[in-house]
Amino acid sequence: MNEKQVHKFVNRYLEATECSILEKSPNHFTVKLSPHADRELTNRPYYWSFVDRVNAEPETMTFLFVTDKNKYDAAEEAKINDAAIKSAQAPAENAQEAAANAALGRSLGFVHGNLAAPARVPREDLFFGARKLDMLFDAAKAKGSYVYLFQEPDKRSTNPFSSTPYTAWLGVNMRVEFACDRKREEIHCFGVSLATGQCVELFYDRLLTHKLTPRLPANIHITKNGISYNKALSIVEQTLERKLRAYDYSWAESASARLEEELERISGYYEPLVEHALADNKPAIQEQFAQRQSEIRWQYEPRVTASAINCGIFHLEGID
Amino acid sequence: MTFQTTPQAASAEVGQAITSRKLHPLVDLQCDRTWFEELQNRQTRGGPWDDWTLYQLAMEAEQAKRIESFEQLLCLRSLPSFEPMPHQISTARKVVHEMGGRAILADEVGLGKTIEAGLVLKEYIVRGLARRVLILVPASLVLQWVRELNQKFGISAVAQKKAHTWGYDVVVASIDTAKREPHRELVLNTDYDLIIIDEAHKLKNKKTTNYQFANLLRKKYCLLLTATPIQNDMDELFNLITLLKPGQLGGLSDFAANFVVDKRVPKNEDQLQEALSGVMIRNRRGDGGIHFTKRFVKNIPLTLSEDEKALYDSVTGFVKERYEESGGDLTSMLSLVTLQREVCSSRDAVFLTLVNLFKKTAEDSPMRPRIWELVEKIKNIKANTKAEKAMELVKEMNDKVIIFTEYRATQEYLLQFFRAQNMIAVPYRGGMNRGKKDWMMDLFRGRAQILIATEAGGEGINLQFCHHMINFDLPWNPMRVEQRIGRVHRLGQTEDVKIYNLCTVGTIEEHIVNLLHEKINLFELVIGELDHILERFEKGDGSLEQRLAKVLLESGNDIDLKQKMNHLGSSLSRIREEVITGDQPQPASPDLIVNLDSLGQTVEVQP
Repeated sequence: MNEKQVHKFVNRYLEATECSILEKSPNHFTVKLSPHADRELTNRPYYWSFVDRVNAEPETMTFLFVTDKNKYDAAEEAKINDAAIKSAQAPAENAQEAAANAALGRSLGFVHGNLAAPARVPREDLFFGARKLDMLFDAAKAKGSYVYLFQEPDKRSTNPFSSTPYTAWLGVNMRVEFACDRKREEIHCFGVSLATGQCVELFYDRLLTHKLTPRLPANIHITKNGISYNKALSIVEQTLERKLRAYDYSWAESASARLEEELERISGYYEPLVEHALADNKPAIQEQFAQRQSEIRWQYEPRVTASAINCGIFHLEGID
Repeated sequence: MTFQTTPQAASAEVGQAITSRKLHPLVDLQCDRTWFEELQNRQTRGGPWDDWTLYQLAMEAEQAKRIESFEQLLCLRSLPSFEPMPHQISTARKVVHEMGGRAILADEVGLGKTIEAGLVLKEYIVRGLARRVLILVPASLVLQWVRELNQKFGISAVAQKKAHTWGYDVVVASIDTAKREPHRELVLNTDYDLIIIDEAHKLKNKKTTNYQFANLLRKKYCLLLTATPIQNDMDELFNLITLLKPGQLGGLSDFAANFVVDKRVPKNEDQLQEALSGVMIRNRRGDGGIHFTKRFVKNIPLTLSEDEKALYDSVTGFVKERYEESGGDLTSMLSLVTLQREVCSSRDAVFLTLVNLFKKTAEDSPMRPRIWELVEKIKNIKANTKAEKAMELVKEMNDKVIIFTEYRATQEYLLQFFRAQNMIAVPYRGGMNRGKKDWMMDLFRGRAQILIATEAGGEGINLQFCHHMINFDLPWNPMRVEQRIGRVHRLGQTEDVKIYNLCTVGTIEEHIVNLLHEKINLFELVIGELDHILERFEKGDGSLEQRLAKVLLESGNDIDLKQKMNHLGSSLSRIREEVITGDQPQPASPDLIVNLDSLGQTVEVQP
């Protein structure tokens, strides 16, 4: 993700979670978090459990999220320079103000330069790999895992008595991991029509072309499901399996070969050791031998795992 | 929604939530079904349902994080603020892609083994191959590791403090703590995805409890860091490798038969190198190239004002008298010599010492009035020649500058002095706690032009952003001078470093500067050479500091002093010649027994 993509991502997250953006530029946001986003991002479980227990009005945190550090810093510096030039032009005024502030400070204790300024605005640089951005990723995932949506009808039906048929789909985005001591991943997006059992790949891209809403639109009816959810699940898994079977598994073969080689090497070390060990030591050495073997399997054994990123029930126009 | 893959899980029966199908004779496909259960749960309960935008964002995050191929080094794209050096990247790549994540990183000192280990760690975390990580280091390095991992690599590493800290994913602990109960049991019962052991040469003896403990740890990937993998004994090498890959060099008897002539002499070096290349990487410093920027050294001779000179002369007289009184007892005199050095630094420094001395002497001692005379002389001094020169220099360079002094009192004086001139200076000293040190560093980086430090040693003061330094006074221990320079002149410094030595003419300072600069050529030495020179010098007759004090006290007049200093100087330059040309009667320290040159690249980082 480059700076622009991060910026766009953050913007959409803040809007979706109803945070109030106090100030923004293409390089940063100053934002007062919504209670929901605050819970996810600020790591303050004690505070929130307190608020929940006494039913207090929560005071959420304000952050400065910088999405392009270099440009932001450059812009800030330019601002300071401008201010310096201006203050040089009007020194008398400033001196007066400073004196007033100092006097205030003496009588009232510490005073903020500007009384309206928020208490503390911690700065977070958000770049790909930054911990705060990872928290944003996780927060998006935590509240973006299971959806139940309807396609918004393209045009209002002129006839209030006609009804558009909709089909329910089971959609799931799968992450497939190919792992041994190394790893690579693929993402597969399936959709299964619950009416017909038809399975579509790249289903997520298709969803993006529609407008979706959680509310049931007027004047539609949903086709009766032809298959059970369990059936749909096994269709997804079978489709995935069929697809993966056609892949090249030379990586797994070489991982297995490495595994065998390593196991052999360990045996070469431990077997004579076990053989010549005194009766007292034998169990300990054998245990260590077994431990080393299981470590090596853990490290090298090739495996493919599929898990869902997120999923949902989608009601789309038409009968397929 | 990810699997916890442990040695147990890999071989055990799969649970209900996971179905397993055969994809290939060697590979099963395991499908996680927890999502489906949860989806049905929510359907029967009628929600709650999540937001469509967040659904898309979650998907986009996953797409961005996806690991496209086995080969790339992905950690680099998530470390925008820091650029590892090419040999560090290629080392990390080799460990991950060719060595299966088990390796001994044996780079020479100063090439960044920590960075390499951090890259490997980050790579495995980014790829989701490592979650539970244990880093065992000497107790004094725990915090440094934690800071480095957090700041440079964005890895939330935690220093082990209490028993519950073991629950964190990435824990840094000292091996001496970890091996003791109650920690021992917790650690040994955990399957660690990655274990990193720093200063691993401490594990070479397999009879030690540390070695036995390390051998019991359960791990998937493992990195051992050491600059000296084999120094004394071939068995040490064997033990180290057995921790990592038992059998890599055969059983102990094969190893002895194939590779060892004598404890200290290897045979079949080619095969040995071949076997080692599968587990060890060693990058060395090169003999050329200019990755280090240059050092420019300028000595600035200063003439003491009349009052200052008067004080210096009377202090010198005072010290000599005491020495003659004591009948040549050197040990008690060292503190008196300090007086002379302090005069060269500031009147504040010498004042403090004199007052303390006054308090210590008995009330009826004839020394008391003598000391008081000196204090009276101090009162006459109105200005500090050196401080004024320093100010002039600082104004001239108009850039960040670090001023080193040996004395707290001088530091305080300078802080006041600069403040009076409306220049912002911040202090730095050994007694400050971690947080305050960090704060001072931040102030210096941000607002202050001047940092005034009494301490150069210790971790965490990296000042690559500054390339001017002023030695307000010089320590007599050359290692401390080198440490000072090393704070500024290190990897990452992009500018040439300018060093100014303030040196008062006609005092011992002049001799010291002459000795360090002309005779050892200290300011232009290659890192590591100084160690050798000093080690050999001190084999003779005590440390350089002691020898200097002796010369100073014993010499009758200036001419005598000059001669003796010259003598000391020439013996130093002779040793330096020997070390640099490699013309040594016998090696000063045992070198590596096995030649490991083919196990890595040569890195050009010479100043």
